[in-house]
Amino acid sequence: MAYLVFQLQGAMASWGEAAVGEYRGTHDLPTVSALAGLLCAALGLRRDQEEEIQAVHRHYLMAVGVYACGPMLRDYHTAQVASRSQLKGMRHATRKDELAFRRTELNTILSTRDHVQGVRYRVAVQADDEAPYPLDALRQALLTPAFVPYLGRKSCPLEAPMAPCLMDVDDVLAALSEYPHAADGSTRRPFKLTWCDGMTPGVESSLTVRQRDRLIHRGAWQYGERTQHVAMLPQEA
Amino acid sequence: MSDFIQLHILTHYAPANLNRDDTGRPKTALMGGALRLRVSSQSLKRAWRTSDLFQAAVGEHLGTRTRLLGKDVHDAMLAQGLDAQKALEWARQIAAAFGSLEVEKPESKKKKADGEGAQEPDLKKLLQIKEIVHVSPAERQAALQLAASCVQRGKGPEAAELNLLSKDATAVDVSMFGRMLASANEFNVDAAVQVAHAFTVHRAEVEDDYFSAVDDLGTDTGAGHIGDRGYGAGLFYLYVCVNRTLLQENLQGDKALANRAMASLLEAIAKVSPTGMQNSYASRAYAAYVLAEKGAQQPRSLSQAFLRPVQGSDDRSMLTEAIESLQKQRANFDKTYGACSDASLGMDTDAGTGSLQALIDFIQD
Repeated sequence: MAYLVFQLQGAMASWGEAAVGEYRGTHDLPTVSALAGLLCAALGLRRDQEEEIQAVHRHYLMAVGVYACGPMLRDYHTAQVASRSQLKGMRHATRKDELAFRRTELNTILSTRDHVQGVRYRVAVQADDEAPYPLDALRQALLTPAFVPYLGRKSCPLEAPMAPCLMDVDDVLAALSEYPHAADGSTRRPFKLTWCDGMTPGVESSLTVRQRDRLIHRGAWQYGERTQHVAMLPQEA
Repeated sequence: MSDFIQLHILTHYAPANLNRDDTGRPKTALMGGALRLRVSSQSLKRAWRTSDLFQAAVGEHLGTRTRLLGKDVHDAMLAQGLDAQKALEWARQIAAAFGSLEVEKPESKKKKADGEGAQEPDLKKLLQIKEIVHVSPAERQAALQLAASCVQRGKGPEAAELNLLSKDATAVDVSMFGRMLASANEFNVDAAVQVAHAFTVHRAEVEDDYFSAVDDLGTDTGAGHIGDRGYGAGLFYLYVCVNRTLLQENLQGDKALANRAMASLLEAIAKVSPTGMQNSYASRAYAAYVLAEKGAQQPRSLSQAFLRPVQGSDDRSMLTEAIESLQKQRANFDKTYGACSDASLGMDTDAGTGSLQALIDFIQD
């Protein structure tokens, strides 16, 4: 089976959960929709290209190996805004203009944002027969992306090249383990592996969960449920 | 494929509390198992985009500041042979797309005028926008074009056409840092500038400053107020990545304006600090080291250079070692993965080489 394998490394990452509001949590690894989004961004698809985006979400299967995922970081975030009624009927060319009211007339919006720190992942992508781009086109897009790739939140940059490789191996675990760009001291096997229904993992599943990250409509922010398999792997001695 | 400009910046802040968490203490993060001080990207961006430097640099490129756009549109329509009443009505509709008008209803004015005979209505007042608004050259042109097509078809502007006027008015800082409006996503702009959180390159604790204040009018001895406050000092690594292609696109292809924006961004990054608790700490700082890279390759931060906290020694400063780690990490990435950029240029206050102006020239297209 052909796989596109690449790595994701960063000091901070945030993989959004369903709820968006005052509290913004994170998973410990990228959701399938986050990875599809990363591919779309690299390909240069825009947020309103609904059909093209849906095709990427539908026709590629993803597996993620977690090699490191540090402690959580909770970031307390405030933003100042003038009230809607104050802004009404005025044009604001810059942020400075927007905040040019007396301090007491500005409101503060609070949010709490979670991140995971010191992350190392490897991702294996498998295409189905109707996939809109061959894996090599995805590889090219990751090497010279149209939009900057990031780890779930724009303030979380990649801290190493993704180094995408095409590999032809039996299963997902082999794809991740034989990936040639292993960083110094990193193990071949991830300590946690997740994969989509329909992939050949090369290990027994420890857990099967339903996860709500299957894209239904990007414009309307609608997501459906999907089956996700998880395996916890013992580390080599 | 896009052109990326990556900036790696080292800045030293003397004891300060630049960016606070919910308990008022400086923000922190763990990296390589060691605690670091952190300044969030939001805090940095706010300091830059609300700075006088930034405003002065990009402000003049934002177009005219005027209240009289409606008058221009009105006069243009009259010149094209439209009758006065329609010209007034349509010009008011177009001007209202930029801001609310000085006089709400021209009818009431007319009624008043009826009693006293045919008095000339104060056109200037009827067409005047309440606040001075920024009108970009593109917007002004769009307004006049819309006016011309209204005259041609003999029909006033549609609501959708009026919306387009303000959509084109993307401001320089919005083009850079983006905008998300849940209620009106047609105004959303994807940020062309990516800013990471800044970390200290070394292990750093938040320290406690215990303080007391004497009550000048108090009769008892002792403090009138006691408290404590967290602070920290350190050499911060900051990573910024600009998608030049997207920036220029966000600015409707205006290359000169994109260059101008890049220059003011770089200058703000090098010279403007977050404003948190400046009155207590006066920690204004200029960047000590800046490395700029250009290329279409996938951008990557060099923060791994500091996974092992920098320590400094008696004869070598933290800055010297941090610059060395950064350059080594970059060289090693190039060696391992192939060239990660096409060209680069540095400015180093430790060695006294390079200049901000040279960097500004380097990142221009």
